[in-house]
Amino acid sequence: MPTKPYSYKVGFLLGGGLILLGLAMQFTVGPLDWNFFHAPRNYVTLAVLVLLIAILHILRRESRIAHFLGTLQAAVPSLVFTTLLTALMGLIRQNPSAGEAEGGLGLSDMLTFWPFVLTYVWMTITLGLATLKSAQRLLPLTLKAVAVFLCHLGLFVALTTGTLGNADMQRLKMVCAIGGTEHRVVNEEGLVKQLSVAVELKRFIFEQSEEGAPKRFASDIVIHTRQGEHIPATVEVNRPVKVKGWKIYQFSYDVDAGAESRLSVLEFVRDPWLPAVYAGIYILLAGAILMFFAPKRKRKGGIKL
Amino acid sequence: MIWESFIYFALTAILLWAVGAGFSWKNKKTWAVSFTCAGLAVFFAYILTMWLTLERPPLRTMGETRLWYSLFLPLAGLIVYLRYGYRWILSYATLLALVFVCVNLFKPEIHEKTLMPALQSPWFAPHVIVYMFAYALLGAATLTAIYGLATRRNVEASLDEMVTAGWTFLTMGMLFGALWAKEAWGHYWTWDPKEMWAAVTWLGYLVYIHWRTNSPLRLAWLLLCFVLLQMCWWGINYLPAAQGASVHTYG
Repeated sequence: MPTKPYSYKVGFLLGGGLILLGLAMQFTVGPLDWNFFHAPRNYVTLAVLVLLIAILHILRRESRIAHFLGTLQAAVPSLVFTTLLTALMGLIRQNPSAGEAEGGLGLSDMLTFWPFVLTYVWMTITLGLATLKSAQRLLPLTLKAVAVFLCHLGLFVALTTGTLGNADMQRLKMVCAIGGTEHRVVNEEGLVKQLSVAVELKRFIFEQSEEGAPKRFASDIVIHTRQGEHIPATVEVNRPVKVKGWKIYQFSYDVDAGAESRLSVLEFVRDPWLPAVYAGIYILLAGAILMFFAPKRKRKGGIKL
Repeated sequence: MIWESFIYFALTAILLWAVGAGFSWKNKKTWAVSFTCAGLAVFFAYILTMWLTLERPPLRTMGETRLWYSLFLPLAGLIVYLRYGYRWILSYATLLALVFVCVNLFKPEIHEKTLMPALQSPWFAPHVIVYMFAYALLGAATLTAIYGLATRRNVEASLDEMVTAGWTFLTMGMLFGALWAKEAWGHYWTWDPKEMWAAVTWLGYLVYIHWRTNSPLRLAWLLLCFVLLQMCWWGINYLPAAQGASVHTYG
């Protein structure tokens, strides 16, 4: 065990240093291109990250830095920096689609802004180390120990798989005309692609309330697969349909025509990392609920409300 | 019409909840819990009748959503009461439930007012209700922190409890929102301004939870967190950077 542990001050210095490093990277290599992380690169990156965290955890008794990264003195500053940079993102109007930045510091493309990315990476490493530490403290098994472990693990899983898996997510729009069968879709970059399933739009349902606001819109479709299946389905807002690894959403319609719309726009979404992200979300949810019921740390004195 | 019998069920339930809340002030826990549960049963009986009459879950109109608010607020209040024994929480829950009952009683036009399609989801009521509870507990924590800063009394133990409870509800609200967003909009997280500020608020409270110090700075940080929370709740409606950029605006 290192003789004298670092203090919060060292954590804040580290955060400041990362911001400077990030700025330097922003001006030299330019904003981060998340498309770089297409499979298999995201799998490799995740494996390297987990390995790095495991090594730091093992080295915590030998190296002061490795020890420090897993302490509260590192966790609190990393969370402060993450909070502040996310707040900065909230205060500056963000470009609707990434990669459209024209010069400037890059603050309107915060997700590709290196100081932001490095701060989140630091927080994630500290979170990973906290996960391993809390795993070691699971015994003796207490509600509190389980809650702490699940919260850290869940957030770590959701954060890493959600971020790294994003490059593999496909969101494709299909414009269907009533009576027609369509298999072409447009991706987020505006390129036309062909799907292995085709959609026949039987009917577009549009219900209005008395005040004229849309009450319900839905598409009655038949999905034709290469294997010769014909699957009837109704796609509706909040009720996507699952088929062949795709989730099909009711996205839009001919808004000017309203109830007379002859078109329905569907969105095809495929996210191979979704099960991992959902696992993380549910683990965090379980951890948070257990935390609510776990006994609190005892503090001396104080008033009781 | 099923709505015509609403007033009888609603007033009975409110009365039972109010009596329960009264008992909690007197530290009569069993009575407080019994009356609150009785109120819940009466109110749920009404929702169930409506469900069976309509032959669908009552989730499609504004009025129907308000019913679930009125049911779940005392239920969440009861859970917090059982866990932490705050004497004020049942009164707060009853008051909020009363507000939504009154909305349904005095604005009958909302009974038939359909929600926009994106809001017609079983996630709607739980998402909003857990956030209301998070805001209440964190609001109480803020007041306690101000009291602690002003009087220099030690309020840390009470604060830790309230912030942990509030953070649990905050986490549930955020994650319910993510699961709902996936069903409604195709993705669980899109860094919409509302989501950004929800994340900022959540991270801010995490700082507080992890920060082990007796410095008054920690209480000051808690006050800052409540400002962040206001930004997430309504502030973004006035924030230039968020104008027209959020899908969380409903006309």
